[in-house]
Amino acid sequence: MSYLLLTLLLLPLVGSALVFAWKNPASKFLALGIAFVQMFLTFYMLSDFDFKPTVDSVLQHEINYPWMRFINTQLHFGVDGMSLLLLLLTNILTPLIILSSFNEKPGYRNTFYGLILLMQFGLIGVFTALDGLLFYIFWEVTLIPIWLIAGIWGQENKKIQFTTRFFVYTFVGSLFMLVGLIYVYTNSASFALTDLYNADLSATQQTVVFWFIFFAFAVKLPVFPFHSWQSDTYTYSPTQGSMLLSGIMLKMAIYGLLRWLLPITPSPILGVSGQIVVVLAIISVVHGALIAIIQNDSKRLIAYSSLSHVGLMVAGIMASAILTMKGTLTITGGEGALVQTFAHGINVVGLFYCADILFKRFKTRDIRKMGGLAKVAPKFAVLFMVILLGSIALPLTNGFIGEFILIKSIFDYSILAAVIAGTTMIFSSVYLFRFFGKSMLGKGDDAVLASASDLSAVEFTVLSSLVVFVIVLGIFPQPILDLVNSSLKFIFTSMLN
Amino acid sequence: MSVLIIIFLTAVAALFAGVFEQGKFSRYIGIAGIIIAFYVSFLPELEFFSQYKSMFEYGLNAALFTKISLVITLLIFFLGGFAFSNHRSHQSELYALMLFSLCGGIVLFGFQNLVTLFLGIEILSIPLYVLAGSNKSDLRSNEASIKYFLMGAFATGFLLFGIALIYGSSSSFDLYKIHEFSMANPKNIMFTMGAVLVMVALAFKVSLAPFHMWSPDVYQGSPSLITAFMMSTVKISAFYAFFKMMSIGFLGINAEWINIMGVLIIITLFLANVMGLAQSNAKRMLAYSSVSHVGYLALIFFGLNNLSVYNLAFYLFAYSLATIGVMMCLIYVEKLKRETSYNAFKGLAQSEPILAVTAAISMLSMAGIPLTAGFMGKFGIFAQAITDTPFLVIVAILGSAISIAYYLRLIMVMFFPKESSFKTTEKVTLTYNIVAVFVVFAIIALGIFPDLFARQFGL
Repeated sequence: MSYLLLTLLLLPLVGSALVFAWKNPASKFLALGIAFVQMFLTFYMLSDFDFKPTVDSVLQHEINYPWMRFINTQLHFGVDGMSLLLLLLTNILTPLIILSSFNEKPGYRNTFYGLILLMQFGLIGVFTALDGLLFYIFWEVTLIPIWLIAGIWGQENKKIQFTTRFFVYTFVGSLFMLVGLIYVYTNSASFALTDLYNADLSATQQTVVFWFIFFAFAVKLPVFPFHSWQSDTYTYSPTQGSMLLSGIMLKMAIYGLLRWLLPITPSPILGVSGQIVVVLAIISVVHGALIAIIQNDSKRLIAYSSLSHVGLMVAGIMASAILTMKGTLTITGGEGALVQTFAHGINVVGLFYCADILFKRFKTRDIRKMGGLAKVAPKFAVLFMVILLGSIALPLTNGFIGEFILIKSIFDYSILAAVIAGTTMIFSSVYLFRFFGKSMLGKGDDAVLASASDLSAVEFTVLSSLVVFVIVLGIFPQPILDLVNSSLKFIFTSMLN
Repeated sequence: MSVLIIIFLTAVAALFAGVFEQGKFSRYIGIAGIIIAFYVSFLPELEFFSQYKSMFEYGLNAALFTKISLVITLLIFFLGGFAFSNHRSHQSELYALMLFSLCGGIVLFGFQNLVTLFLGIEILSIPLYVLAGSNKSDLRSNEASIKYFLMGAFATGFLLFGIALIYGSSSSFDLYKIHEFSMANPKNIMFTMGAVLVMVALAFKVSLAPFHMWSPDVYQGSPSLITAFMMSTVKISAFYAFFKMMSIGFLGINAEWINIMGVLIIITLFLANVMGLAQSNAKRMLAYSSVSHVGYLALIFFGLNNLSVYNLAFYLFAYSLATIGVMMCLIYVEKLKRETSYNAFKGLAQSEPILAVTAAISMLSMAGIPLTAGFMGKFGIFAQAITDTPFLVIVAILGSAISIAYYLRLIMVMFFPKESSFKTTEKVTLTYNIVAVFVVFAIIALGIFPDLFARQFGL
């Protein structure tokens, strides 16, 4: 039993209860403090972390208790390399997201911060659960706080419609995953992860289960054609909601794809199902990028760019999975996807924050009505540019490593697919430079620019912290690869058994 | 049977309190009686009563369901003080009739004989016909009463006709003799017809579509607390009787009725959920949601195993708790606004956060969101049914997917508006808040540690 993991899991829950109870504007500092403690604990965990053990052996940080009498399931949490990467992402971004809301006027109520911490609790649960039922429960738990955040603080005239669509869409997806998991459970010894891997399923059963579970992930990611909820939700949510959704929450699906889908139902990957997924993912890549080029709404543009980037991750994972099933163990797709998961989390949060800063200055999200801010806000222009370059995947930024490995893994599978998917690098520079050019350069409205200021202290802290990650991980990506290597090897070898 | 006697005596005492114009004490008498009965329900049955074993037996399952319905009725009695505070003159009748109805429920939990089944159904229903109409000045309440009575009488006819056919073919009223007969003669036409008629009558009582037509009108017309009683305690009793009859008495001819049941479930899940979506009145929406829950419950007939009774009890308990959680919020709103459309709830979270959170968590539990009791209930039933008929589970999943939309609507109306529409704030009583906190606590505790249920009810 690892008390460190238990603390990581329960601290946000206790914290959110405290923040809910303390009806005071100062409760935001409490929330921030808890999020920072959480971050330091995660780094502490990293400091003496053993990368080697995988989920079938004894993990360094593990909690395992019997749970229910009539259902074969345990309260089983554990951290291996892949989990730790996602924990790092969650716990680095959450304090920044909380901090980013501090210069909001009027400030948010205590419930807002309570919900963010509750969300963090759910996310940590998802990334550490080693039991099918537990995974599903935490998966669903994350939905409620983000839905309330989007609904209570979202754009007034649109919120009923888009929150309902978002909730119903993802809930339906999750229900299908539940049926899939129950079905696997009835054919295996228990809900434990390794037992689900060894479930006794025929090829047809595996195909059905594959699509049921994949549906949940496809909605959450999202992958074409299940993305229709995404752009509205990202656009009309409050900025912090969009950050949580795109920065961390969609990574749950990447994680789920690797840990909970591929090893449980390997056989359809080799068949037509795997190819369909690759095709859908590549359609998302191109479709998202093309639509982003013509968007004028800054947040909607970022939403579509996210669709495009996520599609590439899925395509990379599936390409490697297919190659592995064909007999050559390849984990590059998984590596690329996880590096990109981390990088995209940092970048997209940065981009949403930049869009928010622009919105504060220009009072509009329409990039055609912006312009010329670089002259009055040089610090912002530089930081924005670095984050932008990270998203475009310029060498020496974090985005480059991930995309490069991903495209390499798709290339190994099919040259044609790699060529089509590779266009994302070109398209992303088109839409992101257009975004930058329209908003920061050119001639702006002088009246607006006269009153516009450069970054405030809070804004500067958040953006510069993100920029540090963009550059450092761009130059030294190896730690991430070391962290996830053995977990990925285990996942891809269990597909073969 | 001692529980039954205690509840009966309590009911008489509560009624007499009214005779001596001390109606305000009826509630306390009822609460005291239920608490005593709850204590007694854990004790083993007295030896004396074993001579009635062929008619009524207080076995393990009967004890389990008795305990559940006592807890739920107790919660409803606690709410009574606030809910009936404008019924100054006739309070004692309301409580006494609810207790009489509960007696019928307890009879149903232990029935061993079709005569007891019939008696139980009637004792359960007749007080309800009166209770449904207890808002004398309200036209809808009168309509509910008449409608319920006429339809109920019709269903009773079906039940009796079915019992007659069963007796005619198996020449016994005894449940276990019927069980043996059905095992030995799986193709007897007369017996099968009788079984189907009994099934129809009981499906009416639990409001399984297409025999649910009465329930939206009755649930909407009755005073809200009575509606909560009908949705929870009455449904527990009726459904357990249904379950026991079908899974023991008619087990042998399972092949004859299981397909009918499947079709009824599909109709129920789609009809009730789609109709629920179309409502603009929260109370009527809850009535349809209650119908849809019978659809999920009826999945219990697929893939029967040793745990079925436990799953059924858990689901019924979770669902009843959630019903009370939502209804208590609705009672408050109805009292202040004199109506229960969605708009009446606007901004409730600002003025009465405890009630709004209770209602929200209860509805999330009904929808089956994890960490609530409702999820564990649904999980148990789905996990059982998927081994037999995966198709029906997918139908149920689609049903829940539709249902979440109407639950969300109500939650959104309560939480999303920036300001409250409640100008005059009548504060709720302390008991009311305690019940609310208890309901939330119980729903979440059972959602995290479902084993608590088995432990608390002495399984």
